[in-house]
Amino acid sequence: MHLTAGTLAMINLQAQIESLERRIEAGWTGIADKTTLIELIALRGQVRSRISDYEWAEAAAEKLARDAPTDPAAFVARARVRIGFHRFSEALSDLDTAHDLGADRADIDAERASIFQAVGRYDDAIAIYDKVATRRAEFDSLGALATLHADCGEIEIAEQLFDESRACYRNVSPFPPALLDFQRGHMWLEEGDLHQARIWFESALRSLPAYAAADGHLAEIEAALGAPEGAVARLLTLATSSDDPDYSASLARILKEAGHEEEAREWRSAAAARYDELMTRHPEAFADHAAEFWLEADGDRDRALRLATMNLELRKTRRAQHLFARACAK
Amino acid sequence: MSDHASGPRAFADPVVDITDMYAFPSPQQSGTLVLVLNVFPFAGTAALFSDAVEYRLRLRPATIAPNHPGSLFAVGRKEYTIGCRFALPSGDGDSLVQKGSCTTSAGATVRFNVNDELGSESRGLRVFAGVRMDPFFFDGRKALETIVTRKLAFAAQGNSTMFRQNVLSIVIELDIARTFDPGDGPLFAVVGETVTTGPMEIRLERYGRPDVKNLLVFPKDFDTVNRDIELRDLYNQEDAFKLGPAYGGALRTRMNSNLAFWDSLDGKVDWPLDSGSAHPLLALFLSDFMVIDLSKPYAPDSYFEIEQSALKRIPHQTCGGRSLNDDAIDTFLTIMVNGGNGPRISDGVDQATVRASPTFPYLAPPEPNPPVPKAPEIVSN
Repeated sequence: MHLTAGTLAMINLQAQIESLERRIEAGWTGIADKTTLIELIALRGQVRSRISDYEWAEAAAEKLARDAPTDPAAFVARARVRIGFHRFSEALSDLDTAHDLGADRADIDAERASIFQAVGRYDDAIAIYDKVATRRAEFDSLGALATLHADCGEIEIAEQLFDESRACYRNVSPFPPALLDFQRGHMWLEEGDLHQARIWFESALRSLPAYAAADGHLAEIEAALGAPEGAVARLLTLATSSDDPDYSASLARILKEAGHEEEAREWRSAAAARYDELMTRHPEAFADHAAEFWLEADGDRDRALRLATMNLELRKTRRAQHLFARACAK
Repeated sequence: MSDHASGPRAFADPVVDITDMYAFPSPQQSGTLVLVLNVFPFAGTAALFSDAVEYRLRLRPATIAPNHPGSLFAVGRKEYTIGCRFALPSGDGDSLVQKGSCTTSAGATVRFNVNDELGSESRGLRVFAGVRMDPFFFDGRKALETIVTRKLAFAAQGNSTMFRQNVLSIVIELDIARTFDPGDGPLFAVVGETVTTGPMEIRLERYGRPDVKNLLVFPKDFDTVNRDIELRDLYNQEDAFKLGPAYGGALRTRMNSNLAFWDSLDGKVDWPLDSGSAHPLLALFLSDFMVIDLSKPYAPDSYFEIEQSALKRIPHQTCGGRSLNDDAIDTFLTIMVNGGNGPRISDGVDQATVRASPTFPYLAPPEPNPPVPKAPEIVSN
């Protein structure tokens, strides 16, 4: 199945965003276009690892919920953005409001399931996803189930579901398959199989060359497999184009390992400042990555443990438990 | 909204979403057929065509057959196609160029640059592709209000949902004598499609007549059998010239229910159901294609005239098809609501933002320079 080239899809995503912005500013449009714009800008943020896009989406969703307090779509939109910022209990509350206002039950359940998955309530999530996938075995439902089994560490089942999901894809947009391949790569990365992880991150990048998170993980894999030069080149681009401190942090670590202490210090300092800034604004969303940073950077073990504890209180996932254990061990 | 956002798949990826199709004899060059296929609703000026999609027009000779079990028309198997494909753009920023090519089943090929207003021409085939202002006009909000309130909600002065909006447009001029075999026609059935390229061809969208999907397949509340199922993607994947059996029952029930709803809006039944409880227009819209008579000259308001004449079993007078300034939606609403037995039903919008020109590439230039709004204030948590 041929997909639209990722570069072309990004041009069209931007064209769509600009057109929607124009219509909304002119007052020609309703809530459906506003929620679409929020989703498209969040998608752009996800692809380019631009936290500023997520923040724009968050502000727009907050405004929408204030301006349209009787429209369920406004609360579903705000819930989705809040999920992105790991504000799970507030997101659940939005979904309850949306349900009370008459939102479609199936849509609400799918969002609830993604929250249950994110906080480690895997049994609750699987009950919903199984039901949806049994009723409609489609790309989305099978993909959601695949990532859930991946989070549970059930790799064989996840692999089969990833394949089934991909086989169901009947469109040419590169975004959904690239996001799915990224999830698959992430599963293998968590399992420690760097070669498998590389295959899927490369696949995601082939579909969507602008996919910063896939590029960032590939850089980490390259460094781990003994090719730090390529990793540094990738991360330099990402650290300068993205406002997500993960890339500066990875770059600092790899530079340090390669003996470039001074350069590493600069990037590490930039990352630390940005994590501090983001922890003030979005503590729930950045607790885990900031804890990783302080653990890896070996700079502030107490802070790492405090953040890992906070993250674990928020979600009892395997990853959060593992991070907490590492912080305790240090 | 003609065919804008006509299903989950189209909504998720507007570059495959056909918004409209037009077919009309050239108003200025006799012997020339003009075909227009628009995609990408509400496109920004930078929008480009997908390199993984064939944008295709299919034409088959047809004859009027009022007693034909499929519809009012018997459609032959012989087919003429015009397929347009696009490459990855080269260059960057303002110098970004996308190249495309159009190939007919007769073997003619034209290569062109997207947004080149003059288009390109070869062997009786002239093609333009690029961003233009959307020629469609319709008060979509009032149509939705009509469906929700179950009362005709259109105002004398409507607001077009497409006001100052752009689409990606493919405009094709065909020399009729060089394209079609002499024995074929003069009546042709026309369908527009977006299909995947590559080894497995999947039909993403199909288009015959305006607003069939959004007014006759999308509303679910009147469907007594499948009230919770979105059927437009299933409808889209069917071959208009050869419907498959798999989803026929669901689509028939849905469209029959919605046709009955539209007929009920003036308080009387203008379309009594036939002996099989089917609405008389059901088959027509189920295997939806546009019909044009290439032996007749251009006529500005000819949409659905051939179908109406066939229903009345009288000879048609015009070329049928659909031209760019034709208020096809008023015609469609009138046919559905009162069957032409009452006053013309209008949505209150009678023309596009800018009327189409009589010369190539017919559609108005795009709305330029969209303003960038301020970001909303960030609310502290």
